[in-house]
Amino acid sequence: MGETLAGNVIYRNVYQFVQDLLGEEWSWVAYAAAGMAIILLVTNAVMAIGTVYTWFERRLLGRFQGRLGPNRAGPFGVLQPIADAIKLITKEDIIAVGADRIVFTLAPVVMLAPTLLVLAVIPFGAGSWVADLNVAVLYIAAVSGISTIAVMMAGYASPNSFSLFGSMRAVAMLVSYEVPLVMALLGVTVLAQSMSLVDVVEAQALPFLLVTPLGALIFLAAVSAELNRAPFDVTEAESELVSGYMTEYSGMKYGVFMLAEFTNTVVAGAIFAALFLQGWKWPVLPSHVWFLLKVAGFVFVAVWVRATLPRYRLDQILAVAWKYLFPLSLLNVLLLAAEVIVWPEPGAAELGIMSAINWAVTIPAAVLWSKVVSLRTAPPMAAALSTEGR
Amino acid sequence: MAFDNLFSEIVFWALAVVTIGSAALVVHLRSIFRAALMLVVSFLGIAGIFAMVNAEFLAVVQVLVYGGGIAVLVIFAVMMTRDVDTGNRSTAVQPVALVMGVALLAALAYSIVQAEWALLPDSLPAPIATVFVETPTQLGRLLLSDYVLAFEVAGVLLLAAVIGALSLVRERRDA
Amino acid sequence: MYGEGILRGLGVTLRNLVRRPFTIQYPEARIPQHPRFRGQEFTWYEQRCTGCASCAKYCPLGIIRIVTDPDGGNEQDGGSYKVDVFDIDQARCMYCGLCVEACPYDALHMGSGFEAARYRRADLVIDIDTLKEREKHPSTWFRPQLEREKSDPHHDAPQEWESVGREPFLWHPKRPGQMPEEMDHRSSASGEYGGER
Repeated sequence: MGETLAGNVIYRNVYQFVQDLLGEEWSWVAYAAAGMAIILLVTNAVMAIGTVYTWFERRLLGRFQGRLGPNRAGPFGVLQPIADAIKLITKEDIIAVGADRIVFTLAPVVMLAPTLLVLAVIPFGAGSWVADLNVAVLYIAAVSGISTIAVMMAGYASPNSFSLFGSMRAVAMLVSYEVPLVMALLGVTVLAQSMSLVDVVEAQALPFLLVTPLGALIFLAAVSAELNRAPFDVTEAESELVSGYMTEYSGMKYGVFMLAEFTNTVVAGAIFAALFLQGWKWPVLPSHVWFLLKVAGFVFVAVWVRATLPRYRLDQILAVAWKYLFPLSLLNVLLLAAEVIVWPEPGAAELGIMSAINWAVTIPAAVLWSKVVSLRTAPPMAAALSTEGR
Repeated sequence: MAFDNLFSEIVFWALAVVTIGSAALVVHLRSIFRAALMLVVSFLGIAGIFAMVNAEFLAVVQVLVYGGGIAVLVIFAVMMTRDVDTGNRSTAVQPVALVMGVALLAALAYSIVQAEWALLPDSLPAPIATVFVETPTQLGRLLLSDYVLAFEVAGVLLLAAVIGALSLVRERRDA
Repeated sequence: MYGEGILRGLGVTLRNLVRRPFTIQYPEARIPQHPRFRGQEFTWYEQRCTGCASCAKYCPLGIIRIVTDPDGGNEQDGGSYKVDVFDIDQARCMYCGLCVEACPYDALHMGSGFEAARYRRADLVIDIDTLKEREKHPSTWFRPQLEREKSDPHHDAPQEWESVGREPFLWHPKRPGQMPEEMDHRSSASGEYGGER
């Protein structure tokens, strides 16, 4: 396909334009300007897709729940995201009296930044990526960890103890689920022998969803928890802590938190498509369209799971992460490493054999491990209230 | 300074100012929470400097370990402290500390400027050049062949830390 | 099997996806109510009302206010008072229907609407002129005669006062041999009194 992205055209044109304007020795200005143009294009496109995704999720969630979604603002409610944006922008921006103003204001910014930073390494189509880092997978894991700090900033800066509780619980959950997430990514890295996302896509003669079902499932669960999505949305449970760490936020700051969360879902879909669904590679349609369709598929599954499963309690969430997902992710890495030692350069046939072995191991392992491990957690008051042995 | 162009020089100076400025703010701010956040900023600045010298693996690991892990740990520790917002109170030894700090700074600056830093030649021989391209692969190979003892010892250390943490928070059963 | 619950749940929501949603889009369509629905917009037949104020006495909340003129009235055939004020405060009404149960003359019936929202509480009080001018769609609650003829207040035409009463059970002749047609059904609120017999 070569250089088909409009972005490359934009890059070259802006570079040429600025270079002709300023001359050879200032070519770094041309480089910076062209880079800025591409960054603007990519971030705005993805945030626009994020807002379209809010419409998609609300309509789809409605249909899953036997009702229509929003359908009053424009035909089929397509103007609903615009109505939401206008509402959030025109709301009064309240900062409570005891709040730490600078930290309070910066927390949404720090929440949104990792989402946009991850976009630098995602391949949107054949030849369309901003940077082909050779440590891209690790970069994704590292940058996603920064949003943990944003949650703590938001909880601490609010003069509300319940926000602090909410943010502590959220951070416990986020930090716990980073471990199975990174192990699932490690499994994919071992299979593809490289951390670069472009190499991972190129190495998928078979989609890695088929080759490592365990890795894909663990990634799905872990990324749902990282995104604060159901069934792990204990931080946003309105019946519990109002909005947890977001309680004191109003207006556009809250809008930026929500934007960060929805755009994160789309970006997680893009990562899933690149890592497990062969990225842009399917035939007939142009590569960008396939990529968008795969992201839409992930998003559909995410909304489907949200509509179906009830919310877990926080202690259940942590139990699932440490007792169930983490050992299974270790098993996944061991299995894949053994297979890669036997077949160093896996083509489609070897990947097929690997996928057969992996499926044969995954299903019994997942079922049996659930019997070995008890995911029940003791109610905290039971020990204090029991009268035995005291 | 041997920078490729003006852009990388600007970027370097920006990163340097951010890193050192935030490090200075860590010790100067009254609110300990904000000081912890400034520490995170200085970690990220150092990661940027690593990335500038083509050590992107190290930069990413810096963000992952320091920014994602140790920063969270430091912030948790700050939150468990009482009287967080009163900051540091003045003590009697402050003049002595100031003098010693300035002396240490002078010594460090002198030694850094005086040292003869051996720079890598512009074209590197093949086995060393691959380190800059395939850093994770080379590091992995070294960790599991030449330095496997250090690797295993680090693993045992982590295990000890986890067991220690578990034993600290375990409920006592009087049975 | 482990995970079976999750998979069955996912199947349920997927099936919901392809089914028609249950939503009724409000201003264009309304949820159809049953004929016995105790709604707002009470139906009052002034030709049947005698001003006895049983409805006001039965109301547990005391929201009906009736002021009658003792000098007006139809002394023949039991006599009807002239009703000057008949206020029902819908803001506090709980739509229990006891007032409808109380009326011996089937003059007051529950209404069939539910869209009487107003911008001010004062506007929620129905006065006697509104009750007279309104279209009469009596709910069939506690009115077995209307149920027997299967009237549907939400779809039928407005009913007149002759057709809504239980006369065969409640009518008793004042004079021996008096026929129902000879009853002097004089409207107590129309202002015509006295001596037309």
